[in-house]
Amino acid sequence: MDIAVLIKQSLDVQELRVDQDTGKIYVEDAPTKAGDIDLNAAEEAVRLKERLGGKAVALMLSTWGSSGRRQKEAREALTRVLAMGLDEAVLIMGEGAERADTYVVAKALAREIGNRFQLVLAGEGSEDNFSGLLPARLAAELGWPYVAYATSLEVEGDVATVTRSLEDFEEVVKVKLPAVISVTQEINKPRVPKLMEIVKARKKPMDAKNFSSSEEPKVRIRELRVPKVERKRVIIEGDKDEAAEKLIQALKEEGVI
Amino acid sequence: MRILVFSHYPDLAAELVSAGSGLGDVSLLATSDMREAVSGIKGAREILICEGVESGDQETLVELISGLASDFDVILLSGDRRGRELVGQVAHRVGGSSAVDASGLSVSGGNLIVERMTFGGKAIAVEELALPAVVSVQKGKFKPLEEGEPSIREISPPSMERRIQVVERREKPKVGVPLDKADIVVAVGRGFRRKEDLKLAYDLADVLGGVVGATRPVAADLKWMDEEVWIGISGVRISPKLLIVVGASGQQQFAAGIMDSKVVVAINNDPKAPIFEQSDYGVVMDLYEFLPVLTEKLRKLKGV
Ligand SMILES: Cc1cc2nc3c(=O)[nH]c(=O)nc-3n(C[C@H](O)[C@H](O)[C@H](O)COP(=O)(O)OP(=O)(O)OC[C@H]3O[C@@H](n4cnc5c(N)ncnc54)[C@H](O)[C@@H]3O)c2cc1C
Ligand SMILES: Nc1ncnc2c1ncn2[C@@H]1O[C@H](COP(=O)(O)O)[C@@H](O)[C@H]1O
Repeated sequence: MDIAVLIKQSLDVQELRVDQDTGKIYVEDAPTKAGDIDLNAAEEAVRLKERLGGKAVALMLSTWGSSGRRQKEAREALTRVLAMGLDEAVLIMGEGAERADTYVVAKALAREIGNRFQLVLAGEGSEDNFSGLLPARLAAELGWPYVAYATSLEVEGDVATVTRSLEDFEEVVKVKLPAVISVTQEINKPRVPKLMEIVKARKKPMDAKNFSSSEEPKVRIRELRVPKVERKRVIIEGDKDEAAEKLIQALKEEGVI
Repeated sequence: MRILVFSHYPDLAAELVSAGSGLGDVSLLATSDMREAVSGIKGAREILICEGVESGDQETLVELISGLASDFDVILLSGDRRGRELVGQVAHRVGGSSAVDASGLSVSGGNLIVERMTFGGKAIAVEELALPAVVSVQKGKFKPLEEGEPSIREISPPSMERRIQVVERREKPKVGVPLDKADIVVAVGRGFRRKEDLKLAYDLADVLGGVVGATRPVAADLKWMDEEVWIGISGVRISPKLLIVVGASGQQQFAAGIMDSKVVVAINNDPKAPIFEQSDYGVVMDLYEFLPVLTEKLRKLKGV
């Protein structure tokens, strides 16, 4: 069974700087990386492949432009999942991809997937956009069933058994392959590749493809704003007794206790 | 504008009706097992009830909602996990645009304008969506309407081959006061070394009459909390009067869930923890030393 794993080049939101006063968001300065949950999807693919045989391939459509730096980061993100044990990677990049919305990305990734894979694994939401739209759209484009929020996954023949976590209950479903399944962070602990494995991963096949699409995006970002959150940021000093007294005093003055 | 709304949760369905009524005429969809639950919802023009479909059958819901879509400009779904699971599938099936977790909706120049959080909560995006648009709406942003008696229309289920079969459903234990409604919340993070130690946080919450929430790893990964409800971008957004964050680093995905809190206190032994940037009052100390003292002093103060 061959598995495709969707790896998004995501903005590292922890490192993203925003300026509350000027409202500026320093997107260009922030690094990008493979999303954390995408690493869980990669780990699950490696484990499945080890049990069932077949190939596991990483697919990425980079939407952060094709500057030298972004290209390098995209390749590094893919090298990381190759080092975890995926067999090959496909990197789609190029003119127009920065404007691609989930509609356009789903169409482009579906063309790459065709009928080559029996299973597509993705994250429940990406690190920088956390929407879960892409895997859902991809399933619809391929005409495959979609199961989200997997916390465990077993495959036997052409049936996957998925435990998924919803707000008020856990659900076990059986789904007929081919299918698209998105995973949560709880499904596994992604292995951390050793230096040797990273060196070896650089020799694994990474197929660079040019992005081309005749579809027009359906969503346009009109504006990005910085939400205003005003915090006092007072550090309370003193030993534990003093600090507790001062904190209680402050909360009384705030009128919250 | 014609708006179709659906949620598995009647209280969220009522919020969606309210969100939709700001845009146009609202039709509320319900499956037959939800007939009773939605009967009190006001403000929709009509309620469409589909016989023979069970609300837990996501695959059929995708088919049902996509099939109805040609009569509508905008489809609103709720921001819970099952709601979000439907958005992309329905949007793609109907060749429409999509967005999740809208906190604001309006119409301009024949497009739907959506406001939503992005970059893990560091930014708000204003997006223009071509019609038809399929959007999930952030919980708690729209107040249910009090007037407008809808008419009822029965509709028939789609016929289709199903590829997903639900074989088991296990209820999760329910919490007392839901986090998003609580006035005082104590949020615990991985700074606690053992599950038993959470008692320190429960004691503090008890004295204050508050409830205990957690970061995602504490709830979902370590499973130290009864329920799997955590605070943050992939969990609950809270807006208490007082939030005390104990032993949590304040990573962006957690921080996104606490922005609407009135007063935030952080207790963490690492002076560099990002949580201090997002707090009104910070105490740089070992939680094991500080919490018992704080709780004891509050207990004396409150005379409990
Ligand atoms: C797409 C995505 C979505 C996510 N969604 C969420 C979400 O909704 N909610 C969420 O919480 N997380 C979410 N996460 C995970 C998030 O990135 C962080 O990993 C998580 O919030 C960290 O939890 P923590 O603060 O408990 O643990 P840590 O980051 O490990 O922090 C523990 C803190 O405790 C402090 N500490 C340790 N010992 C003591 C002591 N004795 N006394 C006082 N302090 C002590 C440490 O200094 C540290 O700051 C998400 C991640 C991704 C990628
Ligand atoms: N451009 C992309 N290339 C590859 N995979 C993607 C891309 N965008 C999203 N994904 C996958 O879809 C998941 C959900 O992303 P999102 O829909 O953006 O929340 C991610 O965790 C990835 O697995």
